[in-house]
Order: sequence, then structure tokens, then C-alpha cells
Amino acid sequence: MSTFIKKYSKWLAPIGSFAAFLLLWQVASLNVSADFLPSPLMVWDELVRLSQTPVGGTSLLGHVGYSLRRVMIAFILAVAFGLPLGLLMGWNRVCDKIVSPIFELLRPIPPIAWIPIAILWLGVAEGSKIFICFVGAFVIMVLNSYTGMRYVDPLLIDAARSFGANPRQQFFNVAVPACLPSIFAGVQNALSMAWMCVLAAEMVGAREGVGFIIIQGMDLNKSSMILVGMILIGIVGSLLAALLRGAERALCPWRSEMV
Amino acid sequence: MTLSLEIEKANYFATAAKENWISFVSFLMFLLAWELICYFEIIGPYQLVPPSEVIVGFFEKLRDVNPDGALLQHHAVASLALALTGFVAAVVIGVPLGLFMGWYPKVNLMVRPLFDAIRPIPPIAWIPIAILWLGIGMVAKAFIIFLAAFVPCVINSYTGIRLTNPVLIRVAEIYGASNFETFRKIGVPSAIPMVFTGMKLSLNAAWTTLVAAELLAASEGLGFMIQQGRRLARPDVIIVGMLAIGFLGALMSWILTQVEARFASSRRLS
Repeated sequence: MSTFIKKYSKWLAPIGSFAAFLLLWQVASLNVSADFLPSPLMVWDELVRLSQTPVGGTSLLGHVGYSLRRVMIAFILAVAFGLPLGLLMGWNRVCDKIVSPIFELLRPIPPIAWIPIAILWLGVAEGSKIFICFVGAFVIMVLNSYTGMRYVDPLLIDAARSFGANPRQQFFNVAVPACLPSIFAGVQNALSMAWMCVLAAEMVGAREGVGFIIIQGMDLNKSSMILVGMILIGIVGSLLAALLRGAERALCPWRSEMV
Repeated sequence: MTLSLEIEKANYFATAAKENWISFVSFLMFLLAWELICYFEIIGPYQLVPPSEVIVGFFEKLRDVNPDGALLQHHAVASLALALTGFVAAVVIGVPLGLFMGWYPKVNLMVRPLFDAIRPIPPIAWIPIAILWLGIGMVAKAFIIFLAAFVPCVINSYTGIRLTNPVLIRVAEIYGASNFETFRKIGVPSAIPMVFTGMKLSLNAAWTTLVAAELLAASEGLGFMIQQGRRLARPDVIIVGMLAIGFLGALMSWILTQVEARFASSRRLS
């Protein structure tokens, strides 16, 4: 028995803690009205109901799809622009000097504070939501690739130089691989930031998306609907993070030995 | 190797200081481009105002309650009070909780399920249910900010104390320290740098979440101010508000860094 527990403790612990959480929730919901805190079973019923009847004209999966589409477009744009910019700023001092004053002015402003002006610029349609997610992911991508590049061991570059590598080779074959771990940390943070930003943008004004579901639940005074939305958000967020961790393990296998 | 790194760094900063004029020129060009875009109305006056008008707008907002009903400093104080309330509550509860979770496996076992269930949900997603539970007042917002700041505090304190050098713990045990004494005198001090990292992340999260909460439901605060600016199509109010949010956020992080430098350096265990 004890060897069984030892062998499967990796699986038992999360399942056990999840069961404990559900139990706590059930006990807590017994003492208050269902409008305030519905029991886990009621939330499950609501999930089944919502997956059969569309909310605001879109099915539940459709809402997730809308949010994911916005996040992915913004995320890909942020990586495509932020990564080269950050690397270049870390590699070339003049480039750093040109970009950093503007970047430092805009960096402390949280992406969510861009929502009003984004709506003013791009309307409440897709554009403003993608823009918000882009801002959030972009700043993180630039910062991480910049710091990664600045902390590349100069010895590695010097070694490459003394073996006759030209600047192009020093950059692409030595410096960039050396800061891959930092880039990957940035990619992960950027994606989870984009996921948070899409929520905020959808909550301020949207007709579809996961943020719309929870705001709709609030307007209808249905806490079970809000909770379904929150759980969906948590699950999708965790899946996105897990996906990227898998990608990291496949793309830089030397990292996994360190952790 | 360390020496070569140090020299490299010193060289970098020495040369970098001589090139500061590039930054200066670049910043001026940025402002000029912005001003010109507005001057030629490439982007209309209801969508963007030039930097000169932003500066005028800033000074006006210090004296004029229009268009959103309160002065800039009033909004700023309201936001700061709320963010700091949530942040302090999160530090006071989250840091000890994380430390205990890291040191005592039983506490970890008890708290873990709750914590793991809450963690993947972004704090912003709590806004609707918090409003349903607690109304649209101060308490709901403080609750959301608390949640946002709570998670990084717990995670970092937990990791910090888990990374305590086992040799130090064993030395304390050999000299007859009780478990709690080891926790207090070895574990906690060695976790402090990580705790501060967590607090910085917390502060950031608190400030971001505050803006989100104020955008959605508020009658004062900087988030409310920029939301009103949007409703009235007043880009000057929005930009002044955004810069104020950015500046105050940066200021708070800076203060926390100063506190860390004072407090953590004298206690660091290596």
C-alpha cells in the first residue's frame, strides 16, 4: 500500500487537493444562498446548460475561440516585433540609446490603462482588444530578450570572435542561443499577460469572448454563470502555459536539466 | 571570469554615458513626431492631442474638476489608498502564509488545494463575482487587489524558504535549536530577498488590477478618470491619467527597491 502511495503520489496529491477543495466549497455553499455562492454541482449544471444553449448568440466554445483568436494574433505580433527589438537593443548600444527613453516612458503604464485610448483610436471592435493584448505581451518580450542579451557571458562572444566569427555569426550562432532561456521565460509571461489583457478588454466592452461571459453573468446576477466563466478562464490559461512549457522542453532541452 | 565581467560592465557604462545625447535627441524626435502628427491632424483631435496640450491639460487638471468631477490629486490619492490597502493586507497575510507553507509540510498540505485552485484564474476575472458578493464599493475593489497581490507574495515566500541552504539548517539543529527557532532565525532571514521579489511583483499586480477594477466600476480614482475621458472623447484627460498611473506605479516600485536595499542587505545570509 505504502509503495502504491509513493509511486502515485505525484498524481494522488493534486487529485486529493482538488477533492479537498471541492469539499470545502460544498460546505461553504451550504450556509449561504445559491445566488451568493452556488454549490459545485450547480456550477456543473450551469456548465452543461451553457454548453447547449448559446450565450449572447455564441456557443461557449465559440466564446473561448474568440478570446483565443485575439490573444494569438496579439501574441504572434508581439513576438514578431518585440523579440528582434529587444535583442537588437541588448546587442547594439546605439539602438538601445535610441529606443530606451521612449520605451521607459511607456513601460510603467499597465496595458490595461491603454484600454480607454485604444477604444478611442480603434473603436470597440477587434482592433482595440488585439492592441491591448499586444501592448501587454510586447513590453514583456522586449524586456526579457533585452535582459537576456545583456547578460550573455562576454567570454562566449570573445571566444567566438577569437575563432574568427564575424559579427553576424557572433549574434546568431552564439548570443541568441545563449539567451534562449530568458526569451522563453518572456514568451511564457507574455502569453499569460495577453490572456489577462484580453479578459480586461472584453470586460470593458465586447459581445463575445470569455470576459463577456463573466460580465454577462454579473449583469444577469447569476453567480453560477460567472463561476463557469472563471473556471473556463483558469483552464484555458493553464493549458496555454502547459503548451509553452512543452514547447520549451522540446526546443531547449538543456534547460530541463537545470530545473 | 567575474573580473572580466566587471571590467566589461564598467566599460559599457563609461562609453554609454558619453552617448546619452543619443537618448536625448531620440526623445525629442519622438515628441516632435507626436506634435506634428497632431498638428497636421493625421490623427484627429478627438483621438490624440499633442504633448504640449498634455502638459497644459496636466496643470489644468490640478485645478479644474471638469470633465470628470474631481481633481487629479483627488483621483490619485483615492487610487493609491485602495492599492496600498490591498497590497499591505496581501503582504501581511501572504508572506507569513508562504513562509509557513514552505517550512511546515502540514500547513502546505492544508492550504495547497485552495491556493492551487485560485492561482490559474487571473485576478481580473474575480471582478464580477466580487461585485456580486461585496457591491461596487471600496471593499470589493480592495478584495480584488488583495487577491492579485496575494498570489506572488505566497509563491515567492514559499520558494524563498524552500531554497534555504540545508547546511545552515543542519548546523542550527546540531546546536540544539528547536524547529521553530530554526525557522525564525535561519529560514526567514534567508528567504528575505525572495520575499522582496515577491512584494515587487505583488505591487505591480495590485496597481494593474486596481486600474482594471476602476475602469469597470468606480466613481473616483485614476482608472475612473481615464474611463470618463473615453466616454467624453477627451484624449488629453486620458493621456494625463495614463502618465499619472505610469508615474505613480514606477514611484512605488522605486520606493520598495529603496526599502529592500536598506532592509535586506544587512540580513542576507549567504
